[in-house]
Amino acid sequence: MEISDYLRVFMDECQEHLQSLNSALLELESHPGNAEILNSIFRSAHTVKGASATMGFNKMASVTHAMEDILGLLRRGDLEVTPEIINLLFDAVDVLEVLARGIPEGREADIEITGILQRLKEYSSSEQKTPTAKDRRRKLDLRYTKEEKEQIKERLTETKKLYHIHVFLKEDCLLKGARAFMILREVENMGEIAKTIPSAKELEDEQFRFDFIIGLLSEEPVEKVVAAIEKVLDVEKVEGTAVSIDEIPDERRGYGDFVLQEKKEADEPAQSRLGTTSLTVRVDIRKLDELMNLVAELVINRGRLEQISSELQNRELEESVETLNRLLLRLQDDVLQTRMVAVEHVFSRFPRLVRDLTRRAGKQVDLVITGADTELDRTVIDEIGDPLIHIIRNALDHGIEAPEERRAVGKPETGRLEVNAYQAGNQVIITVSDDGKGIDREKVARVALNKGYITEEKLAEMSEEEIINLLFLPGFSTSEKVTDVSGRGVGMDVVRERITALGGTVRVTSQRGEGTTVTIQLPLTLAIIQTLMIEVGSEIYAIPTTLVEQTISVNRNEIHRLHQQEVTTWRGEVLPLVRLQDVLEVEDAKNLEYDELDVVIVRNGERRLGCVVDTLLRPQDVVIKSLGDYLGSIPGIAGATILGDGRVALILDLRNVA
Amino acid sequence: MEENIREKGKEREEVRDEELLQLVLFRLGDEEFGVNILQAREIEKLDQGLTRVPKAPPFVEGVINLRGEIIPIVDLRKRFGLTLPPLGYDSRVIIVEVRGAPVGMLVDAVVEVIRIPVSAVEPPPPITKGVDAQYLAGVAKVGDRLIVLLNLDKALSPEESQELAEAELGDA
Repeated sequence: MEISDYLRVFMDECQEHLQSLNSALLELESHPGNAEILNSIFRSAHTVKGASATMGFNKMASVTHAMEDILGLLRRGDLEVTPEIINLLFDAVDVLEVLARGIPEGREADIEITGILQRLKEYSSSEQKTPTAKDRRRKLDLRYTKEEKEQIKERLTETKKLYHIHVFLKEDCLLKGARAFMILREVENMGEIAKTIPSAKELEDEQFRFDFIIGLLSEEPVEKVVAAIEKVLDVEKVEGTAVSIDEIPDERRGYGDFVLQEKKEADEPAQSRLGTTSLTVRVDIRKLDELMNLVAELVINRGRLEQISSELQNRELEESVETLNRLLLRLQDDVLQTRMVAVEHVFSRFPRLVRDLTRRAGKQVDLVITGADTELDRTVIDEIGDPLIHIIRNALDHGIEAPEERRAVGKPETGRLEVNAYQAGNQVIITVSDDGKGIDREKVARVALNKGYITEEKLAEMSEEEIINLLFLPGFSTSEKVTDVSGRGVGMDVVRERITALGGTVRVTSQRGEGTTVTIQLPLTLAIIQTLMIEVGSEIYAIPTTLVEQTISVNRNEIHRLHQQEVTTWRGEVLPLVRLQDVLEVEDAKNLEYDELDVVIVRNGERRLGCVVDTLLRPQDVVIKSLGDYLGSIPGIAGATILGDGRVALILDLRNVA
Repeated sequence: MEENIREKGKEREEVRDEELLQLVLFRLGDEEFGVNILQAREIEKLDQGLTRVPKAPPFVEGVINLRGEIIPIVDLRKRFGLTLPPLGYDSRVIIVEVRGAPVGMLVDAVVEVIRIPVSAVEPPPPITKGVDAQYLAGVAKVGDRLIVLLNLDKALSPEESQELAEAELGDA
């Protein structure tokens, strides 16, 4: 691996650890006494410290080191888990995120961290100010929680006993950690280690003074164990006694390393809420893209093969091609699946976001996320995060009211924000609902009128939902003041743009006083779409069927001119017509001479447009390819595809025509 | 042609201490131009149909399918306002990379690959062979030939064409 590969791996893992730190801190906030969570946080911070130090990112290493110090104190019970400390740790994680973002740009070393380090050190060094208290705590005492005791009892037999071995190393011992490790190894030959204090990790990191206690289950006489340890270099003295498990006081908070538990559960996969080890492989996204391209080419070539096979009329060949077809469809599916990522990836940011926003605004909100395992294409996942965050910000800033307001109208003080994702047919639906005060229709209408987007008459004709969806017009921000939380009216128009660019739709429904729901529909995969192939002149184009309402045949007598525009009637309404050769600048179109015209009715929201073509060809699934960076985006062209004969056909975007 | 190149190569090799530039020479109309071989990805024949792209800049002829990749094809002769003999048997497309994106340049013929010392390259005069200096990276005299080096970024960048088009309208 080159350095850059290491960096990529580091960045990926770093992101994961930071994410799990955020989740774990959130859990710790609700369950401050949970030692397992503390340990998990400690481990994550420790891993990030090691990795960043190895990569030379010293600022990250310093911050995580300082975090570790505090976490160590929390684990040992020398420090209580308080809201201030949790906020401090959150802030530290934020700093780590800033540092991580600075790494690709080479800025990590320039980022100022003295502030956070000072705050972190305040806590970890406050303990050092009371040495006597610390000394008292430092007197080692090996205890067990009730659960741990049960597990030990199960193992005790006539011959197997529990010993507490207190080992003292010489004060001038240089490699304490290594020594302790050696001793533990020696001891393991003679029995099962139940627990050590400090924990094995702390011993390895030399986070102890000079002594430690081993709780050992062994059938050997205790003297033998003591003698074996005394033989190790740098050991000052060893005290070993058999203990009766029932006489040991209970430990309410389990800390230290209960090794036995891990061994017992070795057969079952370790279930941890805070971090699952699933069978996954990291794959460079570009390799997946290449795989997709290859599959797409196979799909195209398959078409050609089918053509040839039908021409040759050879049965064996046909059967072979059919099998190839089936396999190819499965391959296509599987490869597309590899690009699918669970929305959890995006949703995991929300709890932290909601927490921060509600704290600053003084509101109380329950965030409920469902369907996080719903999957979307990777490129969609990358793009959908920001729009969703904006929608959530709106819900929290404008939707959900402050606790007093809610009480006044008889709602529970804690508001509810639901984010849901599910698959429906060929689409994925994501909804964000709040039980806040809903959207003020009159206000929206007023702003739209003032900005000249609609007239009074039009307004009178609009349905409630249509009025609310006026929100998506540009320049719309119904908040009078610019709040820090919601930012400058970035606006739902940008949200709609982003979602439309992904091939999706978004709409809002709302009930005054009850709440608002934003519904986003996204296509399941980007890469392959259904289209209708048409011909104009000698050129072939593809129209995505999501845009097509219907295809009709119109006689030239049914075409009239209205204000210079060709129109016809359809379903009792006036349908504007456009000859595609005019839009596409095609020179050899023939439809002007035809009596019966093929018209593709295209819809864009509420509007319909009839596109006149020369010939309707066939419906076809095509693989969308980009026109490339050199051309960039050309108005009216959504992309290109490669036909069965290897030619390129352009995919049309007819939404803004006419 | 190979012997020619090797011989020429040997001549050049004698100037051993100088840094050498390797160029692909091609013909546009009646004139020879060159690009740095490091910028050229490959050379293809245009034996498949070109798909026209409506509303693309005028010198963009269309796009082709190259092993599954969509490559835009640019006619430099149109770009530079040179005479346009019809594309013949020797016509080729030289695929180059402009700011990371692949583009195919339509040329009348690919002549040869030569090596010249970097020191032989001089800044271009305002107009050379009918082409404005802004599109050129330099000129080099090789024997009795005048080789014109293209500045690909400028020659192929679409934004410039807008200004060019407007300038032309202004002059007319």
